[in-house]
Amino acid sequence: MLDRASTFADPEIIKLLQTRFVPVAIDQAYQRRQQDAEGEFYRKIAGQGPRNNFKGTTQGLYVATAAGKFLAFNNNRGPERVMRVLKKALADFRPTDAAAIERGKPDARYSPSPPEGGLVVRVRAKVLGGYEDTADPWKRIFQTAISRDNLWISKSEHEALVRGELPKSLQVRIARFHLVDNTRGEPPMWKESEIRGLDMSLKDGKLRGTVQLKTASGKRGFDAQLFGVVESKAGKVTRFDLVAKGQFWGSGRYTGGAPKGKFPLAVSFTLADGSDTADKIPPQGSRGWVRGYVR
Amino acid sequence: MKIRLLFAMLACLLFCPAASAQLTEKEFRTLHEQLKPAADEPWRTIPWKISLLDAQRIAAQQKKPIFIWAMDGHPLGCT
Repeated sequence: MLDRASTFADPEIIKLLQTRFVPVAIDQAYQRRQQDAEGEFYRKIAGQGPRNNFKGTTQGLYVATAAGKFLAFNNNRGPERVMRVLKKALADFRPTDAAAIERGKPDARYSPSPPEGGLVVRVRAKVLGGYEDTADPWKRIFQTAISRDNLWISKSEHEALVRGELPKSLQVRIARFHLVDNTRGEPPMWKESEIRGLDMSLKDGKLRGTVQLKTASGKRGFDAQLFGVVESKAGKVTRFDLVAKGQFWGSGRYTGGAPKGKFPLAVSFTLADGSDTADKIPPQGSRGWVRGYVR
Repeated sequence: MKIRLLFAMLACLLFCPAASAQLTEKEFRTLHEQLKPAADEPWRTIPWKISLLDAQRIAAQQKKPIFIWAMDGHPLGCT
């Protein structure tokens, strides 16, 4: 979030990445573990940098050649620093012939695909208020952020929606993995036992509901109302627009800096049309556990 | 008894989710629009790949270096 609104909003960096580099964005928790050509190539590059213990995070910005020669690493994403790294990498780069690496058989544990015959839904969240005023530009980015994740809907759930039904499995997935405050970082998902109330219905194309979520300690929770519109045509869902809004409280390990006390949070859902590269990214809640996510 | 009932009603008004205003269709439309990201967000103009091998293939063809944005959680989604 911070990087998208700062480093990669810098016109000079954008121009360089558009014209002089081949930019790729990855969740390194996959690549550093996966046993296939994609993982091997990543480990070859990262192994030449300072974060070469693949049992821990290798997060950062890397520059490398197509042959896998490491050119630069930086984990400080301040625009000036990144600019220096890019320019130095370009100065050090010597174009050489390299063959395209055969993909081979992908490691299925780290190559999840959207369910065949199912749906991908874009999910966005925003804190609507409650923050204290700040002059800190970094804090302001978080305070005004709109997050992004994807909801996967299975083939059988898709078919149920076309029939005008709202499967319990989908209701639970929405509540556990998508009614989260992910506007400041990776959020903790809800355990099944933390769903204190779940009442959703779909009637005449209108989805209505209430959800109450709360941790055992009571330190984090979300009381939300939902309203949405689901439409289908010729056996396919053509519209899945939904909003959840309510009072959220608390934060997680990577989502510190939340407003004090209860604050308004809204989460919106809309069908992905495949026009955005991010439509292909697996849901954060499926990370390392797709079968636990799409049951 | 009346005082207990009064306290119960007050507590419910303050804490029961059902007691808070329901999300209306009008508010749904407003929020759904409000949570759409701007179409011209600068980072979207960068032609991001999401497969390192796709990037490697293009880098080999075009003789360019690969820039890897590697994060915990996917940088284009997740947060």
